[in-house]
Amino acid sequence: MDDVIERIARHLRRPVQVDPALDGRVMREISALPTPGGVTMVGKAWRWLRRPRQFTLTPLGGLAAAAALAVAVFLYRTDATSPAPPQVVSRAFQFVLVAPRAVHVSLVGDFNDWDATRTPMRQTGSNALWTVVVPLEPGRYHYAFFVDGSRWLADPSAPVARDDDYGAPSSVLTVGGGGDS
Amino acid sequence: MTRALMRTTLPLLAALLVAAPAAAQQGDPRLERLDAATRPVVAALIDSARTASLPTEPLLQRALEGATKGAAGDVIVAAVRRLAVDLGRAREALGSTASPAELGAGAAALRAGASQATLAELRHARREPLIVPLAVLADLVASGVPVDSAAAAVLSLAGRARDADLVEFRRAVERDIALGAPPAAATAAAATATAQSVDVNAGARPQRPGRP
Repeated sequence: MDDVIERIARHLRRPVQVDPALDGRVMREISALPTPGGVTMVGKAWRWLRRPRQFTLTPLGGLAAAAALAVAVFLYRTDATSPAPPQVVSRAFQFVLVAPRAVHVSLVGDFNDWDATRTPMRQTGSNALWTVVVPLEPGRYHYAFFVDGSRWLADPSAPVARDDDYGAPSSVLTVGGGGDS
Repeated sequence: MTRALMRTTLPLLAALLVAAPAAAQQGDPRLERLDAATRPVVAALIDSARTASLPTEPLLQRALEGATKGAAGDVIVAAVRRLAVDLGRAREALGSTASPAELGAGAAALRAGASQATLAELRHARREPLIVPLAVLADLVASGVPVDSAAAAVLSLAGRARDADLVEFRRAVERDIALGAPPAAATAAAATATAQSVDVNAGARPQRPGRP
């Protein structure tokens, strides 16, 4: 038995003869292998995202992270429940003109681009009464009645527009935040 | 390289930011109602107002009013320019936080003869929007009330009165003037009566269509 072991040991102690060209061959084989140079940035990023990682967290750190998350949720909810900016509320205003001999009456003003075709007035009750209801937001409006396609009339029940620049009569309507005129 | 890129890119971006809304305004179909000579001048005035962060819709409406009423182009341009100046002065007096509606009412008050100092006093006297106080001031002057009397009365009420109280005050003044009272005296009397009734008049109003 000792003799067998002694022979094995002698065999293993013999110096190994390595081919001097081995290094060159190995390096050629390696350079012939496909390299990751063709991988795009997206591919690299995707690989980086999918690579599993381990994190260590102390109990104190965990508590701090939970507290930060709770604060973030609280702030978000507080912001969500804070009062929204005041909405501009429009309110209906009725315009009335007494024009017994008129055939067609339009309301024109800052609220309809001074377009005589957009807000025709309607005869109600007796044929002399022309009315229309228009929703208006807070502001100060110039307006007038356009009668039979040729005649401008100011509203006798409203203040006259003193800052009228065009000669034809206009009236003024002011709508406040509470809808008062 | 980066610095050179920023030198060329940033001014271009700034020009685009300025030019894009201007181009949008040029394309506003409502301006087509103006004649070919007036349209670019009004568009330029509106662009200038926008650059100065002034409301542009009142300027457009003033131009459209002129077009509908058949006014000459130079009259329309003058009216738009005058309103732009008044809007700028109103913002100087009321501050940069003033709403477009407040600026419109402030411009009307200035046009009626109120001073910028009066507008600034109103801003300090009242927390609520100033649309109605400014409009009442302009309307009173239009009714023949001396601007100093109108300003004093509105300032005395602005801190306490609601919009509805101020409108009722204006109606009372106009009614008394129509009945023959001197405008200044009618204003002073109505201001006193309104101030006395402000605390009493706190009831809710029914919701129905308003009247001018």
